[in-house]
Amino acid sequence: MFEVLDPTPGTAPPAGQLAPRLDTLEGKTIGFISNGKEGTKGFFKHLDQILREEYGVANVVSRTKSNYSAPADPHIVAEIKGWDAVVSGLGD
Amino acid sequence: MQFASRSYSADSISAVQELYHSNGWTDGLPIVPPTREAVEACLEWVMMPPDQLIGIEPVRGLAITAEKLAINAVMAGCLPMHFPVVVTAWTAMMQEEFLMHGATASTGGCAVLIILNGPIRLEIGASGSFNALANSDRATAVIGRAIRLCLINLLDDRPGVIDRSTLGHPGKFSYCVAEDEEDTSWLPLAEHRGVPKGASSVTVLAAGAPRQLMNEWTTKPEEILETFAAEMRANMRHYSIHPGNYALIIPKQLREHLQAGGWTKADIATFIHERARIHRREWADVGKGAVVRDRGDSVYTAMDSPDQLLVVAAGGPAGGFGAVIPPWLGNKSYAVTLPIGVCVDCEPPKN
Repeated sequence: MFEVLDPTPGTAPPAGQLAPRLDTLEGKTIGFISNGKEGTKGFFKHLDQILREEYGVANVVSRTKSNYSAPADPHIVAEIKGWDAVVSGLGD
Repeated sequence: MQFASRSYSADSISAVQELYHSNGWTDGLPIVPPTREAVEACLEWVMMPPDQLIGIEPVRGLAITAEKLAINAVMAGCLPMHFPVVVTAWTAMMQEEFLMHGATASTGGCAVLIILNGPIRLEIGASGSFNALANSDRATAVIGRAIRLCLINLLDDRPGVIDRSTLGHPGKFSYCVAEDEEDTSWLPLAEHRGVPKGASSVTVLAAGAPRQLMNEWTTKPEEILETFAAEMRANMRHYSIHPGNYALIIPKQLREHLQAGGWTKADIATFIHERARIHRREWADVGKGAVVRDRGDSVYTAMDSPDQLLVVAAGGPAGGFGAVIPPWLGNKSYAVTLPIGVCVDCEPPKN
């Protein structure tokens, strides 16, 4: 008989909570956080157009991480509270 | 000893294997059952209680305890004497400049290369000779494997979960090398990186697969090193142009030619820094013309400075081979060197 131990943390890592879903995008400010890879350029450009033209978004704020493999820079994270929603995009 | 981990009972060794495989707790190979006794022996060796905090993983805020490292180390086949290396390697990996989350989650297929220096190599039987970088000996095999099992089980670094590698490489099973300090006149890597002579240490590097090369047709240091530099240039053209910590693994045959010419590791680094550089326009030669744009004349170096090169004496005694180990993604992640069980920068408390 073996008595063996669980190699995993056993508890879920601390996680953030999603903000409540918006009722409408009209008149809102949407932030884009891009990882800066090539594929993000066309994607966010197109998304910007759709949000403004089809959903009435008032402002789109685009930010790009300084290191695409690291979390968003603190100054970008600090801006988030001024936005109504965020789209965080990977460009692989 | 009180453990926080849940325990399971299994009737047989094969039942243990199925328990761990079915939960996704392995690298696909059989594991050593992490019994209380075996885990306790590891912790006693390093004189740590189970809840000793080794560090906080910087991105997701995961607390890494000695108990969890020890469980995974036992599973990998580690004996208690190997465990200090695992603890130190993980401490190094959790330094912010190593960028552990990015390196281990990336599509870039990176593994963590562990380089051992100092007396602990001899104490645990880690060999820097024949078949270095692979199954050269028990110690490096199980230490490298322990690092991977810890990543899998502590960070959920499973393929398709946190590990998003498009292609991996065999070093993701185990990637550990001991420097052959006895058979060279060069200073050990760790001393170049500030660890005092006589201390044991671990250097971690977020690394791609080794790129093996051969030049048995010269004894001239410049020509030997040109082959290494060419391999680095090839990596810059074919993989990534970002400068960073490259490692050169130089086995004895080529090493002796360099040493006979009076070349130190610093001399090698200076030479390589001059030679391992490309023009951006060279990307057009390998099918990447689309990203040359108007910067074709820009020159890119493999390292920002010579001291970014990690020169390691290792490999079997015969054969004009060597290896270039490229960084995962240049300076997105830096190599980290830490002494084992020693606080180099600590000062006594002031009264």
